[in-house]
Amino acid sequence: MDLTPNDDQIALVSATADWCRDHMAIEDARSRSDDLWQQIDAMGWTAMTGPEMELDHATEALAFAELGRFLAPVALLSSAVAARWESRQGRIALAVTEGNMLRVLDGSDASTALGVVDRRAMLFDLPAPLSARSSLDPTVTVACFDEPLSAHAIADARAALHLQLVAAAFAVGCADAARDMAAGYAVIREQFERPIGWFQAIKHMCADMAVRAAVARSQLYYAACALDSGADEAAFHVAAAKRLADQAALENSRANIQVHGGIGMTDEALPHLCLKRAHLLQFVVPAERSALLVIA
Amino acid sequence: MDIGFSPDEARFREECREWLNANVPSEKRPINAAEAIEFDKAWQRQLFDAGWAGINWPREYGGRGLSIVQQVIWLEEYAKAHAPWIGANFVGINHGGPTLILNASEEQKAWHLPRILKGESIWCQGFSEPGAGSDLAGIRTHGRIEGDELIVNGSKIWTSFAHVADWQELVLRTEEGSRRHAGLSWVICDMHTPGISVRPIRKMSGQTEFAEVFYDDVRIPLANVVGGLGNGWKVAMSTLSFERGTGFIADQVKQSQEIEELIATARANGTIADDRIADDLAQMRAEVAAVRAMTYRNISEVMRTGQPGPEASVIRLFTSELGQRLERMAVRLKGAAMLDFRYGDDDDVSDYLRGFAATIAGGSAQIQRDIIGERLLGLPKSR
Repeated sequence: MDLTPNDDQIALVSATADWCRDHMAIEDARSRSDDLWQQIDAMGWTAMTGPEMELDHATEALAFAELGRFLAPVALLSSAVAARWESRQGRIALAVTEGNMLRVLDGSDASTALGVVDRRAMLFDLPAPLSARSSLDPTVTVACFDEPLSAHAIADARAALHLQLVAAAFAVGCADAARDMAAGYAVIREQFERPIGWFQAIKHMCADMAVRAAVARSQLYYAACALDSGADEAAFHVAAAKRLADQAALENSRANIQVHGGIGMTDEALPHLCLKRAHLLQFVVPAERSALLVIA
Repeated sequence: MDIGFSPDEARFREECREWLNANVPSEKRPINAAEAIEFDKAWQRQLFDAGWAGINWPREYGGRGLSIVQQVIWLEEYAKAHAPWIGANFVGINHGGPTLILNASEEQKAWHLPRILKGESIWCQGFSEPGAGSDLAGIRTHGRIEGDELIVNGSKIWTSFAHVADWQELVLRTEEGSRRHAGLSWVICDMHTPGISVRPIRKMSGQTEFAEVFYDDVRIPLANVVGGLGNGWKVAMSTLSFERGTGFIADQVKQSQEIEELIATARANGTIADDRIADDLAQMRAEVAAVRAMTYRNISEVMRTGQPGPEASVIRLFTSELGQRLERMAVRLKGAAMLDFRYGDDDDVSDYLRGFAATIAGGSAQIQRDIIGERLLGLPKSR
């Protein structure tokens, strides 16, 4: 039993964070370069979950939490799942379904989308060209379909859990980003002749953000290991990770805006990017109550 | 990273389970204080004789010298077997003993540690005072040095088990005119010394588990100072950081039993059909799982580096608040039957009422949030 990253994993996490800081800074999230995906691809993040790489879920969760911290393209989630279970290469868009409506996120240049319907991961064939428009999350495009697209299910039932796990990792990263943004601002912003982080009203909001992020991250690690070990209760642990990570991302993003005050409500400042990403992630394989209450 | 246990650890778990299944007392821990203390002592002695006391304490002081992972396995099986709360031995096992292991002299350790493990000496904690609660550095109880003794005057409050304790971990001011964290000392106080009087305080749950303690020219040998005169703050903090690290593992593992019992109760009495109750149970089941994950993460950190990580204070805060949510759910599932509670009952209602202590004792939830904000996030110190 060991739930701390080993030296190789620590090195991967810091290399990922370094690259993201240089090439995918949150400050530039609204005007990302057109070849960002090619750069990500060239760095190996799209291929790393391919079957020949034999990457364990624990290491994958660590890397995806870092990518999520920088609000990386959401198609990385669907592409990772398609690579692992279907040996697909290239960009696979992320599909979100609700009732008869299917939304394709990050679909430009993709011919396939991946999403989960009734606990099964499905691959959808996309028409070309896709008429995508901007979405709530400024880093993501959306295309809506109210007619069914031709699709097939991925045979392995674990693919749906895999998508839920990496989406939880993205949400943990988003929760971390919001926490750090708030704490950073609370140190430099002064009112009443002192940093606002001096006041317990602000300090305790930030502490709660740290608690939510730590709780969600711990469960993410456990869930990743449960999936790696093929444990029977892996589905429960992944659902628990997703539930806690979604809450941490959303609640931390909301608190971050409050800590920032007026500037936090603007388009110009960064906090709304975390909020919008957190809302988006809530629709990616949400944790069902029944999965959390299942009898072991 | 992995969540598996080695074959040796799995065998150890089997050993724990077998012994507990054969030995856990069938009768409940008595609620009456005098009977409870006899029960606690007898159970602790039984644990010691069978080699289950102080699993990760050093062998030379009566412990087993095993790893913290084995300690966790023991506590997990202990909770699953519904073994009794260690009760009055809590302070000795979880505060006094670990502080002595870290800070005391050989003589002090050799005399006290085996007696704690055998359940022969009951300990209490003398930290809080009427004027020093969250602001612990405001301690006023003082000891004047006279020859090779301290002459102690003052009072302590919220002292759990003071009325039955043999020994106390007493933090007091030993340097006249000193202020705040300076000039404090951590001493071993014999609770049977003349000049000590104890006024038990009844809790809103009906139990009399804590007390106010008065010191009137109490003579304590200077040899009872632990960690050196004037170093009391540092010694006391070593206990508190232990508490915030691994001292609450028993509570953490107990929660995983409690949530399963709540879900079973809600299914049995039909309240699970209420969407809000079902949702809250689902949420808490996820949170309890996360507490286990955090505990394992913290223990992994201890195994790797020798000490708990900076997030240990997060576990303490989250576990205490989750415990209260679980207790609140238990009374919610009871419905109006909650109103039938009377002092003397030992049930979900008394647990709920006692449970308020979790976010007050050992550093209130607000103090914990200050610590997290300042030490984890680097926010400016407000005090």
